[in-house]
Amino acid sequence: MSNSGMLVRLSGSLRETLGTRRRPADDWAPGANGSEAEHLFLRALALFRMGDSQAAINLLRQATALAPSFADAVEAEGEVLDRSGDSAAARARYEEARKLRQKGRAGAPDRHFVLRQRGSHTAEIVSYTRVLKSLKKYALPNLARGNAYLADRAPELALADYERTLKLHPNSMDALAMKAEALSALGKYAAAIEDLDKVLAANPKSSDALNARGIAHMAIGHADLANTDWRAQLGLLDGRPAASAYVALRLADYERALPHLETMVRNDRRDAYWALYLRTAQLRLGRPATPAQSAADDEWVASLLALQSGSASGEEVMARADTAGRRAEALFQLGVASHASDRNAARAYWQQVLDLGQPALVEHAAARNELSRSAS
Amino acid sequence: MFSVILYGRNDTHGYNLHKRAAISFNALAEVMSDPDDEILFVDYNTPDDHPTFPEAIHDTLTEKAKKVLRVLRIRPEQHAHLKSKTHLVALEAQSRNVALRRSNPRNRWILYTNTDMLLVPRTEGESLSDILGAVPDGFYQIPRFELPEMLWEAAFDRRDPAGNLAKLRDWSVRYHLNQVVHNFMPMKYDALGDFQAALREDMFAIHGFDESMLLGWHCDSNLAARLALYRGRVDTLIDKLFGYHCDHTRVAAANNKGRQTRMNNQDDYIWNVSTPYVPAQADNWGWPDVEIEEIKLDRDTSYERFTAGLDAALKPATAPYTATSLEWHLYEDLTYDLDHTLPFVTDQMVTYPRSTAVMVVAARRTFVERFLTAWRAMGFTGPVLVPNECEGLPTDLPGLVRGKFEELLPKTQMFIFEFGLATQHADEPVRTGRMAGPLDTKRLKAIAKLFKQAAATEAETRPPGRRTPRRFVGVNVIYNKFWPLFTDYVGANINPFCSQVLAGLPRIDPSLRGKVLRFRGRRAI
Repeated sequence: MSNSGMLVRLSGSLRETLGTRRRPADDWAPGANGSEAEHLFLRALALFRMGDSQAAINLLRQATALAPSFADAVEAEGEVLDRSGDSAAARARYEEARKLRQKGRAGAPDRHFVLRQRGSHTAEIVSYTRVLKSLKKYALPNLARGNAYLADRAPELALADYERTLKLHPNSMDALAMKAEALSALGKYAAAIEDLDKVLAANPKSSDALNARGIAHMAIGHADLANTDWRAQLGLLDGRPAASAYVALRLADYERALPHLETMVRNDRRDAYWALYLRTAQLRLGRPATPAQSAADDEWVASLLALQSGSASGEEVMARADTAGRRAEALFQLGVASHASDRNAARAYWQQVLDLGQPALVEHAAARNELSRSAS
Repeated sequence: MFSVILYGRNDTHGYNLHKRAAISFNALAEVMSDPDDEILFVDYNTPDDHPTFPEAIHDTLTEKAKKVLRVLRIRPEQHAHLKSKTHLVALEAQSRNVALRRSNPRNRWILYTNTDMLLVPRTEGESLSDILGAVPDGFYQIPRFELPEMLWEAAFDRRDPAGNLAKLRDWSVRYHLNQVVHNFMPMKYDALGDFQAALREDMFAIHGFDESMLLGWHCDSNLAARLALYRGRVDTLIDKLFGYHCDHTRVAAANNKGRQTRMNNQDDYIWNVSTPYVPAQADNWGWPDVEIEEIKLDRDTSYERFTAGLDAALKPATAPYTATSLEWHLYEDLTYDLDHTLPFVTDQMVTYPRSTAVMVVAARRTFVERFLTAWRAMGFTGPVLVPNECEGLPTDLPGLVRGKFEELLPKTQMFIFEFGLATQHADEPVRTGRMAGPLDTKRLKAIAKLFKQAAATEAETRPPGRRTPRRFVGVNVIYNKFWPLFTDYVGANINPFCSQVLAGLPRIDPSLRGKVLRFRGRRAI
């Protein structure tokens, strides 16, 4: 057994190894960076507190070797280096951690704030677990840890925290809404809709809940109900451009999306998806597409922009699509590109988006609405 | 790049406030380098007759601090609706939200801190604007390091922020000042309220600070809890910046009563927070529809306005000095030197809102004319109201409004009662034993009657919606027969005779005598 494997075993509790009991509130479970790396991280923090900086640095480096995007471990190494007097090296590590946290695409801006967050949240999960050792009966640590798990794509762990929060605070509509998001993430859409109905009965103007219920409805094929929720959401957004653009795109309502997309292209040059979606809307409305300003920093979006402009083929882009979500994005754009000349091909691409893409993906809803429209 | 939001009032909050605050204002300005950067100081509930806190210490601020400082003044009248709900005289959530609403929309960041903090970039030459410009979106805290009172009080030069920051770099090593105190999440560090940097956009999205927190304490932790939920993470800038706090616990501040301190409920406002939003205040946080006065220290200052008023109304003295006397046998003599008195009268006015409507009840025509000239030149836009019952006064000067006393009362926000002699000439020597003539007596009798009526009915005759009592200024009411009259009805301080002026709010005297006086005043007996 490797040293790190041994550490994993040493760090785990007896109950974790043997027991099947329900996990207590203050029990920690690893998340997005994987069990081994996160156990190393915890062990390193403990060693650092006990004064063994070098051992801590060694473990943190092992953790980042296992999980290269583990920003919390990189930042922790920065802290250890700083406390050891090497501030220049520390600064570099802090900067690296910040960059790592910026990697990847943020969640859609029309979704709940938890689902808009980027990066992993191991340090938060550890910290809130520590809070729960002293303050088990309060909403915040349970909810915040649940949110961190949900953002780290661990919906089962999130669900347990939300259920615990609801047991303590049965009337918390915030916890109920989050529980519904966790259920949706687990594919339990009917149960999610049931909870979101309650949230919306208590607060009919909850934009986040309308969005979430729309996604759940769409996932089980109730496109009309989904669109009703999203139209209601659009009415509540008060013209906020980012969220409004995404909701209108879900509805495949490009006319409504267009001005918001134009605003976002002007306001947020960091996110190349705005240019991509603006050109998507223009193409679908049969208008000349705005030239892409420059090659996007994000290689993947640059590929999609190249596909739109005809400088990359569908095969090339599909070959670069390394996740189901990206394949769905590429297929959606292939449908957009084909629509003017070959509607059947476009429909075939959009049907594949439905087969591949997660219901929360904006392209999933847009494809579904495109298909409904072209069928009628 | 960023707006710093601070709050306070012109009082004595904690030990040696003036020095701490000057050090802090100057140090914060020192680490700004973007033209959009600003310090927003909300001056909350300073009495109307006082200048704001930054105005009171302006001579200790650097030119850079004065340039970036915007003072937003919240008047006692604007606080009056909250007064019965709190024991505090300055409210943090309201203050910070008023500033947030009015912050520079071009700035990406809002920095919440306090007027006793110094921020030291770890890389010399780097500014806080550089630092915040380079970091990704997020919610950032830094630990607070404590600075013993002896160090900042004895060694800092208020007007040398660069030198002070250099001293901190030195002391932090020599005296082991830098100790990070970790805290429970979402409060990453202890005393987090002294550095919380959030996106302006995020602060608007979550509806600012929670304005139901009226009892003091934990506003910072509540914000941290809500921003931690919203952002999902509490980030640190410890690699870029250290923050030092000027300790001030030699004297307990008003919100610190040891174990008897009243506080906002921790469970409600921290541990049971379940949403970043405060829906109940979504539309009205930061008082969007309330007109808030803004004061700059680098232009159009109160001093400039004050002297503009006097320069317009007075000619320079031609003699080295003039003289008067308070000898007892001159008690009945109501002559006074208007040129000398006018600066003390206008001094009572200059800190009031420019839209103030002032009622002037006077005997001397020249007093009204000169006062009106000064009033306009000081930039006041409100009218000078003169009751028709006052005979012999001007009627057609711009800015002067005549009307029936009873009709003017509910339009008045401040009163001036001048007890001079209508027959006094400009070049007449004062306090020589001159008696009032029949015309003087008639006019003074009318003024006294109106004064008693105004003071006794002040609470009932306020402008619609006004909650706070109006101020009465008495001119020529010291060591003469109108002294007892004025102080029977107005709670004025003892002032030097030389100023000729007393001022205060109507007295609520619960004694039988007080009741009789009010009864007589109401009925103009």
